[in-house]
Amino acid sequence: MTSRSRSLKTHLQRFGQYAGHYAVLCAIAVVCVFPFWWTLVTAISTEGNIFAFPPTFWPKAPSFDNFIEVFNAIPIWSFFKNSVLIAVFTVFWKLLLCSLAAYPLARLKFRGRKLVFGLILATLVLPSEVNFLVNFITITQMSLVDTYTGVILPNVVTAVAILLLKQAFEEVPQDLIDAARVDGASEWVIFSRIMLPLITPWLATVGILTAVESWNEYIWPSIVMSKPDEFPLSVGVLYLRGTFGSSTRVIAAGTLITIVPTLLAFLFTQRFFMRGMDGAVK
Amino acid sequence: MTIKRLLAVVACAGLLAPQAWAAEKIEFWTFSMKPKFTPYFNAVVARYEAQNPGVKIEWIDFPWDVIQTKLVTRIVAGTPPALVSLNVPWADEFARDGLLTPVDGLINEARASYIPSALADLRFKGGTYGFPMYSNVAVIAFNTAIFRQAGLTRGPASLDEQLAFARQIAQRTGKAGIAPALSKIDGLFMQQGLSVITGNRAVFNSPQHVALVQKLADTYKVGGLLKESLFAEDNFPAVIDAYKGGRLGMLLAPPTAMQRIRGDAKDIYAITDVAPAPLGPTGIADGGWLVHFAIPKGVPARQLPSVGKFARFLTNDENQLAFARQASVFPTTVKAAADPFFLATPQNAGAAEKAVAAGAMSMNHSRTLYVAGIDDYDELRRSLVKAVEAGVTGKQDVKQALDQAVAIWNKKLATLPRH
Amino acid sequence: MKLAHRHTVQAWLFLTPALLLLAAFSFWPVGYGSVLAFTDYSLIRETRFVGLDNFRYIFNNEMFVSGLKNSLMFLLMVPFVQVGAITLAVLVNNRLPGIRLFRAAFYVPVVTTVSVVGIMWGFMFHEQGALNYVMMTLKLVNAPVGWLSNDSLALFAVMFVTLWRGLGWYMVMYLAALQSIPSDMQEAAMLDGASRWQRFWKITVPMLRPTIMLCSILSVLAALKAYQEVDVLTQGGPMNSTFTALYYAYDQGLKHLKLPRALAASFVVSLFCIGIALLCLRYLKPKHR
Repeated sequence: MTSRSRSLKTHLQRFGQYAGHYAVLCAIAVVCVFPFWWTLVTAISTEGNIFAFPPTFWPKAPSFDNFIEVFNAIPIWSFFKNSVLIAVFTVFWKLLLCSLAAYPLARLKFRGRKLVFGLILATLVLPSEVNFLVNFITITQMSLVDTYTGVILPNVVTAVAILLLKQAFEEVPQDLIDAARVDGASEWVIFSRIMLPLITPWLATVGILTAVESWNEYIWPSIVMSKPDEFPLSVGVLYLRGTFGSSTRVIAAGTLITIVPTLLAFLFTQRFFMRGMDGAVK
Repeated sequence: MTIKRLLAVVACAGLLAPQAWAAEKIEFWTFSMKPKFTPYFNAVVARYEAQNPGVKIEWIDFPWDVIQTKLVTRIVAGTPPALVSLNVPWADEFARDGLLTPVDGLINEARASYIPSALADLRFKGGTYGFPMYSNVAVIAFNTAIFRQAGLTRGPASLDEQLAFARQIAQRTGKAGIAPALSKIDGLFMQQGLSVITGNRAVFNSPQHVALVQKLADTYKVGGLLKESLFAEDNFPAVIDAYKGGRLGMLLAPPTAMQRIRGDAKDIYAITDVAPAPLGPTGIADGGWLVHFAIPKGVPARQLPSVGKFARFLTNDENQLAFARQASVFPTTVKAAADPFFLATPQNAGAAEKAVAAGAMSMNHSRTLYVAGIDDYDELRRSLVKAVEAGVTGKQDVKQALDQAVAIWNKKLATLPRH
Repeated sequence: MKLAHRHTVQAWLFLTPALLLLAAFSFWPVGYGSVLAFTDYSLIRETRFVGLDNFRYIFNNEMFVSGLKNSLMFLLMVPFVQVGAITLAVLVNNRLPGIRLFRAAFYVPVVTTVSVVGIMWGFMFHEQGALNYVMMTLKLVNAPVGWLSNDSLALFAVMFVTLWRGLGWYMVMYLAALQSIPSDMQEAAMLDGASRWQRFWKITVPMLRPTIMLCSILSVLAALKAYQEVDVLTQGGPMNSTFTALYYAYDQGLKHLKLPRALAASFVVSLFCIGIALLCLRYLKPKHR
């Protein structure tokens, strides 16, 4: 066999291997992505029966009319504003409180350290979804129903965030801390001037993960908020479905408006997600 | 440092709960009214505020599948809305649980203006619990082309005739005749004068009940009943689609459905005629469904008089008439219901107008039919519907299936506290 | 000893805000909720202790019992999810061109809010929706199938959506684990002539074991607690066939204000979850501690 025909054969073999590989990947990707594509097509088209057989896989008479309709129909700017505000405050307080908690666990020796660490791990085991009933009762007793605070408070401190930030702190070289201590700096100064700036990539990771999680949260905000004007987008989009049950296109447009920010954020910050997962696995 | 301080201030600001205090604020809730009736309600609110300075009305509308949760949330939080739109089964449950405020004192001065049957729907535990708003009643729309083909000339006058016509349609045209909502078989029993529960025991396996289900089964067997979604929780979308597609001879629906047919299937609309829904032996029209405004528990007592005043305004003759005309539903005040709009059929009336007139004739006989006073009623209904499904589709002997369901019901009813 | 604890005061100052919130919203609900499950907590009457009454009620109630069964049915998905996620992770653990796009595509369902997922799949599962079209074109069925309106099928539809949402998340976990496997072992094995299959089973899988354990536990817990997808797709219907145990708690508590029953139901779910978690911790103690 000549070397040329051998390399051709291997090329074909490899091509076949990779083709098969890609085929499987594509098939699964289609299942994952098709609902989004269909929603996009529905939102952009203005003609044709939505539920026609066969359904349209490509936009017909594309325009932005449906999107405009969404803005007219529901207070989508309010929803958007609510989502943004809730996300921003959640991220801020979470980063602050969780890093405050993670620092001593990572770098300080103190009485009760094991206990606290154990308690935090314990919350990973507790089924937190189950808590919504009692948390709702607590929130009402604190008169925080229909407030952003009520939505944010239960989500501010999570074990995962604390653990991730703890790992981040542990990667900071001890000698930096020692040097600062020798210089007589207080713990607060060490924390805020030295440690926090050094773990900025981790803070960004936790921040982005938190922001997305907060943006996507649906059940808890829908329980706490009862006025439609105060719904975040994730709840508002269902309000859209309820109000406009028969205008599928408008619902599709509203849906897209809801997920576009998350998708964009995700596409641009993929590595943060993956890194967050890495940390979690460890 | 200043940036940090600024951040801290901003963050704290985010934690401050938005305060809401107003002079006299009345918040009222409706369901499924937006977007179609936004102008109507805005106008009503504007008029009331103009006539009553110092009162601020806030109107919030919810999708109907969410309003229960929101109401419960606000009752728990101690800040319920002053008025909330409910349907009768919901009101029954809330009233039983002590979550509604009786309105007798507030409605008395206007009591005479409401249709008696509507008020009767709202009597629980000896008190009245709502201000009737609007009601629906079913009419029968029928496809005259299919009827002609089957040799029928007029609408059915009773349930028996409905089923007989359906069989005839199936035999002569091969199309389905009728599509009753068998997931609400309990309402059907009640309309035909057959009780579902007597004295805390299930009684729907009596010979009359069995006979009724048997008639349904016989009609099913020859293809008279539309098979799609026959036992589904909500079979209306499938049924109206079938009617619009010319596959169904008779459609039992509220008059609003006619407008949908007119919009989506002009050809079928053109050949549609309408007759009042047959009254059962009880004289109760089918499809009665009352929506009203209730006052949740927890509304401050000192606010009640002005809430009552607004509620009476919301549901007065003039407003009910305007709403009913727009929505193709029926008002629940005597004067509004007697308005010529409902009784007279205009020249060149299409099915929609005829439906309104036909329905109006049944208005005084409209009651919301449901089984009251039972916790977790849905669970029981499910076993009844499954039994009826088995009987009607021929999978099981009718009497046997109903007996089994009765046993399940009695077991559960025995454990419930009596109301 | 003083040296070891000299930072105690400061450490506790740092920790206090976070611990307070954790106490209020993670620990308190578990404790208080468990206690309330044994009372007839109500807004309008005095609360009385009622012992096991609530539990007796829910276990006699078809909605809860079938909900519990459904939650257990969700467990059937766990092996599928894990195997699927591992497969995906293996498939994307390379540097083929465009592989990052595929990774993103698989992860997108995870970052989509559940309400939007419910709306989109509501469209897909519609009688005249895309799924029925595909199945009818492929001649798999003759008439449109009511995925969400048929009470025998709806639960599986909901389970599928949960799977769809979860695959990407676990895939990323496995991917991270795969990428931390030292490549020298694989190379050594290749030199020894081991086939891809052998390499996978003898090297990759054992090294993945801790991750598989972790993900399986998380998956089991998630299955038992499933209820959000139910709320956005079917609200428990049709005919209550898609109730899960926790959805029962949500429905009874927040739609009908029957709080004692809802609390009893969530207590049962908590017991299951904590029980399983404790079992796993005891028998599958991670090696590095």
